[in-house]
Amino acid sequence: MNELATDVSVRAPPVAASAGGIASSRRVATRFALGLALALAPFLVLGGDFFWLNILTYTYLFAGLAIAWNILAGFGGQFSLGHGVFFAVGAYTTADLFIRFGLSPWFGILPGAIVSAIVGPLIFLPTFRLKGSFFAIATLAFNEVALVFANYLESITGGPRGLQVPFRAGLANMIFADARGYAILMFAFMAVALGVSVLLMRSRLGYYLLAVREDEDAARAAGISVVGVKLRATALSAALTAVGGGLFAMYVRAIDPPTLFSLADIGVKFALISLIGGIGTISGPVLGAFLIVPLESWLRALVGGTTPGLHLILLGLVMLLAALFMRRGVAGAIDALVQRWHHRHRTGQ
Amino acid sequence: MDMLLQVLVIGLLLGGIYGLVSIGLNLIFGVIRIVNFAQGELVMLGMYGAYLAYATMGLDPYIATLIVMPALFVLGVIVYRLVLQPLASESSMQIFATFALLLIFQNVVLAITRGEGYSVSSKLAGVTFGIGDIRVTMSRLAILIAVTLTAIALHFFLKRTMIGKSIRAVTQDRQAARLMGINVERTFMITFGIGSALAGLAGALLSPIYTMSPGIGGNFILAAFAVVVLGGLGSVAGAYFGGIIVGLVEALAGFYVDPELKQAIWFLIFLAVLIMRPTGLFGQVGAEEVGFREQA
Repeated sequence: MNELATDVSVRAPPVAASAGGIASSRRVATRFALGLALALAPFLVLGGDFFWLNILTYTYLFAGLAIAWNILAGFGGQFSLGHGVFFAVGAYTTADLFIRFGLSPWFGILPGAIVSAIVGPLIFLPTFRLKGSFFAIATLAFNEVALVFANYLESITGGPRGLQVPFRAGLANMIFADARGYAILMFAFMAVALGVSVLLMRSRLGYYLLAVREDEDAARAAGISVVGVKLRATALSAALTAVGGGLFAMYVRAIDPPTLFSLADIGVKFALISLIGGIGTISGPVLGAFLIVPLESWLRALVGGTTPGLHLILLGLVMLLAALFMRRGVAGAIDALVQRWHHRHRTGQ
Repeated sequence: MDMLLQVLVIGLLLGGIYGLVSIGLNLIFGVIRIVNFAQGELVMLGMYGAYLAYATMGLDPYIATLIVMPALFVLGVIVYRLVLQPLASESSMQIFATFALLLIFQNVVLAITRGEGYSVSSKLAGVTFGIGDIRVTMSRLAILIAVTLTAIALHFFLKRTMIGKSIRAVTQDRQAARLMGINVERTFMITFGIGSALAGLAGALLSPIYTMSPGIGGNFILAAFAVVVLGGLGSVAGAYFGGIIVGLVEALAGFYVDPELKQAIWFLIFLAVLIMRPTGLFGQVGAEEVGFREQA
């Protein structure tokens, strides 16, 4: 039934940002500010409600983390399932430096980001010759190796018991008595990550990344150092993920290996959020986070008490339907709607 | 010396388990190239299927395989046709979909059983016998025998039958296979069904050994992926010997290095193989070159 055409490589459409040529700086800046204002709106409306505030805080955090993942996986086409490692490096470094040396997390997140930016390219380097699902599986293995070592290296990670960050409220300690402080913090993280992502896609490295994703051989023939591009994207992506991990550690104030290396809640979740929102687009990870994170928490609160697992059955069904009917995620669906509207507009005249 | 022999026997029996849960995944990952996160859940469903047959009809889990395997074949075909085939051109969305299936399977079982742990017993499984100091339980030996027979049967199925030949052709070159008149979609559907049925077989045979829980699939899935890549994609011998190698490494490392690090050691071996010989020990050279896009 499917004709030969399906065997010919199916190429992803160009990212939304580059559709129709390069957008002017002013237009991009306006869109960026508008997006952030939209993302901030629920905070201004629901900021007083603790239940929603907590959900919103996680939404901002995971939006930022998915943006970071999307840099390597979406723009660069390197479908990593090992980003939990960078997340954990950031979380452990920030928490350790604060607990042991009293170093303010505002500075403590930097070493974690730097370590990740160095270690990430080093451990990913040997796997870059692998393609597609092989790369995914290999990076998944990194996550599992790191989990075993995190349990084993008790002096750094606290072993299976994990680390507890003492509650010492204060701006310098990045610990807030008023939970709204965390929401603003995570929002700022998301804004920075989004800014990096926007700037990246207007930079040389961004175009190199797209070229590598679309056709490695052609990119190499055009004089691009394929491995170099992948390494730089990994460093950037890993550093941002580590910052997110550090912020996570300061928010929950109790971290242990099963949490940090969880596939469903961390490592694979970055991918799920980006996919449902629209992988390889700038807005996709944010849209995905605003869909998945509140939906999950809301379903849990709604039906979690009645039947165990029911909220995850519903979440799974929503994900399945999203996969089947929004192949290019929410961003892709919106894009298609806009295109259709433009088309009708033009033909209507 | 006696100690070493004992560790080797333990490793071999453990390798049988790894081989059995990997053999179905090897077909699915090796032929269709889907990173099927739900494979462990198919094993889990096989276990609960064996329990259901035991609780309602009093069937021995070894006999229950005759019901569990066809049931999972049908489930696999349905899942492939309704969910995975429509996403054939979107490999990363397929991963997403298998993760959704994992959530659904796991939590449907959780909702039905309310998290209560089940176990089945088999008269046969309880038998133990010893050679010298080494004691072996029948349930574990049965798995080693089953995986050996399954590997041999699957080998001949792939080599001799028309369906088997079309599966191999599709693995080597989808486009050429299609030009030769092979229905690629149907071949994938059957492959996914067989892979699911083999997961069901593994689940039913493992049911006398483990106490069941809805999340038990997670214990097998990563090991299974490691075995598949270590052994070689789409290679039956690869899954078989890969499983045994991983089992032996785990037993030896657990005994001689540190039980806490045994998993890290075989994961590191897995990474080393992946990097030095991405094809796997028994795989066809070049199989790993096929990325997400090109295969669609």
